[in-house]
Amino acid sequence: MTEPGLVYRDPPDRGMAWFFANQTRLSRAVLFSGIGVLAFYVLGTILVLNAFGWTQECPEGARPSECSTVAPLVDGLTSDGLGQVTMITLVAGLAVGAVGFLRHRAMPTKSAREASFAGAVLGVQASFLALVTMWVRGTEVERFARNFLDFALLGENAGLAWTAISENLGSIVGWTVGWSAAAFVLVYGLSVIRHRVSQSGGEVGYAAPTIAAAAVAVVVLFGRLAAIAETPSFVRAGWNTLRLSLSGAALGFGLGLVLAVFLMSSRSVVRAPARVYTNFFRGTPLIWQISFFGIGFVPALRLTFFTEEDFLSPVLGTGAYRVAIFVLGLNLAAYSAEVYRSGIQSLERGQIEASRSLGLSYLQSLRYVIVPQAIRRVIPPLLNEFVILIKDTSLVSILGLTLAEKELLGTGRDIYSSSFDATAFLGAAIGFLIITLPMVRIVTIVEKRMRSGLTSVIG
Amino acid sequence: MNDDGSLVRLDDVHKWFGDNYVLRGIDLRIEPTEVVVLIGPSGSGKSTVLRTLNLLEEPTEGDVWFDGIRLTDIRTDLDDARTHMGMVFQQFNLFPHLKVVDNVTLALTKVLKLGNEAARVRALEQLDHVGLAEKAESFPSQLSGGQQQRVAIARALAMRPKMMLFDEVTSALDPELVNEVLTVMQDLAEEGMTMIVVTHEMGFAREVGNRLVFMDEGVIVEEGVPAEVFADPKTDRCRSFLSQVL
Repeated sequence: MTEPGLVYRDPPDRGMAWFFANQTRLSRAVLFSGIGVLAFYVLGTILVLNAFGWTQECPEGARPSECSTVAPLVDGLTSDGLGQVTMITLVAGLAVGAVGFLRHRAMPTKSAREASFAGAVLGVQASFLALVTMWVRGTEVERFARNFLDFALLGENAGLAWTAISENLGSIVGWTVGWSAAAFVLVYGLSVIRHRVSQSGGEVGYAAPTIAAAAVAVVVLFGRLAAIAETPSFVRAGWNTLRLSLSGAALGFGLGLVLAVFLMSSRSVVRAPARVYTNFFRGTPLIWQISFFGIGFVPALRLTFFTEEDFLSPVLGTGAYRVAIFVLGLNLAAYSAEVYRSGIQSLERGQIEASRSLGLSYLQSLRYVIVPQAIRRVIPPLLNEFVILIKDTSLVSILGLTLAEKELLGTGRDIYSSSFDATAFLGAAIGFLIITLPMVRIVTIVEKRMRSGLTSVIG
Repeated sequence: MNDDGSLVRLDDVHKWFGDNYVLRGIDLRIEPTEVVVLIGPSGSGKSTVLRTLNLLEEPTEGDVWFDGIRLTDIRTDLDDARTHMGMVFQQFNLFPHLKVVDNVTLALTKVLKLGNEAARVRALEQLDHVGLAEKAESFPSQLSGGQQQRVAIARALAMRPKMMLFDEVTSALDPELVNEVLTVMQDLAEEGMTMIVVTHEMGFAREVGNRLVFMDEGVIVEEGVPAEVFADPKTDRCRSFLSQVL
């Protein structure tokens, strides 16, 4: 509805079409040259290396001097073809960079300037990569490749053959689908019950059950694959890393909230022990805590809860593994308590005053007013703590875990010490990235959502 | 009611914030159905007086009596006493994570232990009373300041309190939204609610207030019928304050 006299106009289109319509001949040339040089470098390198091959099979028991699995890759890296690719990239990239940087200020439109600048940067990036490649070609390529680029090792130690998967396909699919369906039904059912009880309007959404089902599916699928994987292997190690971090997080985030409430008590006798606890766990290195509890405390005191098999063993493991989970959880609790506390204290004082003035008790105010709001605010920093925890699980490798219990770094080290091939560490890094990158991505999405101020609307 | 017939009474209340002496002996009696308006320069302690009435601020010395109960007695169940005293704040203080209707029902279900259906009926009734029934399913952030403040009033009224405390409830509102809130308060006064109002709205004080209390530097300097105080202030401090704000 517009009143007479008020003219409404759609905002002008400033999309890609507008961007390309406002280029000069030079700016367009620089942009596409920049993209072209980078593409030439990437594709050219891949094509040359691919022509020689990435790896090769060696006969059983062959000595490295007779047959090396990385020989084709070394040939490719040292080939004249790759030399030409890098040389052309270096020269062309610098040329594009020079033209783009020198001329971008003289461009008549903003689009042209941005295109010129972007093309120049891409050209320089390509040149930089070419320089690095040249430097690598000048080193002892053979030794470097044998130690760090022996991708055959990763394949051998992934731990899952297609045959193993196809033989167990039924149970893998069954478990995954079954558990995720159960999660969906459970979460959906709970929200229906909550909806009925609270009598609030609106409809029960499918978002939460779907997310829960997806998360459960990923975890169960991973678990089933790990169960049929060989020992030691990266799949099994990754599963252990995930198990350690998930159980540690469940313990740490729960205990942390209780600690945070204690930390904010007006009574110093309640505050003091919580303060001592957090200071201790934040003030000593995690590796010390793991050593102390895993190597000293638990065995010396014969804490049977940790050492004996019980109904919790399928989830928490037994022995050093369970100690590791508890130490990771206790450590995370100290850090997350501070995060919760900062979130709670960031709420305006008026929230608790309004709540108390309505007759809600202190604990009721926390439960219904303060904590629900604080948790929304601290989700990004809590997820950050979780990512840190995932990486910190690598410290567990100092404990004497069995081969089947070892996480990514421990397994990487085992594979390295039996093969003298440092590519194993690359495999561990890839494993960590596969787990942490989605978490980092989720943090970004959540933060973006919070910045747009939709949290109160999404609820 | 207290034994002297008042609904709420402050007996020689003193309050220090650290070394800051903010209430320097306040005696105040408020009768049922009375509308008392507290005015005074900023920092005079009028908001603190309001907040000691429901013990959001604990008096350092002195007693607060409400409805025959000594609130300053450590054994008093303050949570129970507060259900009989509604309070509305300058910054609204709605719970942003709850829908409007859930803002109102929260204390009804958790404190008064009403059933969900009964609480919802009462909440919608109360929202309708302030003219916001159609906003029940909205979130506070989707409402204007005036609407939020009316929800805050409805939230307090839904508890069926014996007394309402208003702490500069129009000060954070855009000028064109002030009247919708004042109208609700005026209706409430006409229905016979006991109200203690801290405000800078002198027009409201004159028309709705039964008694005007002027405070300065932590003491009650002057009190009386609003029209009389406005027309002829007895003290110099009150006169100079009124000449500034009128």
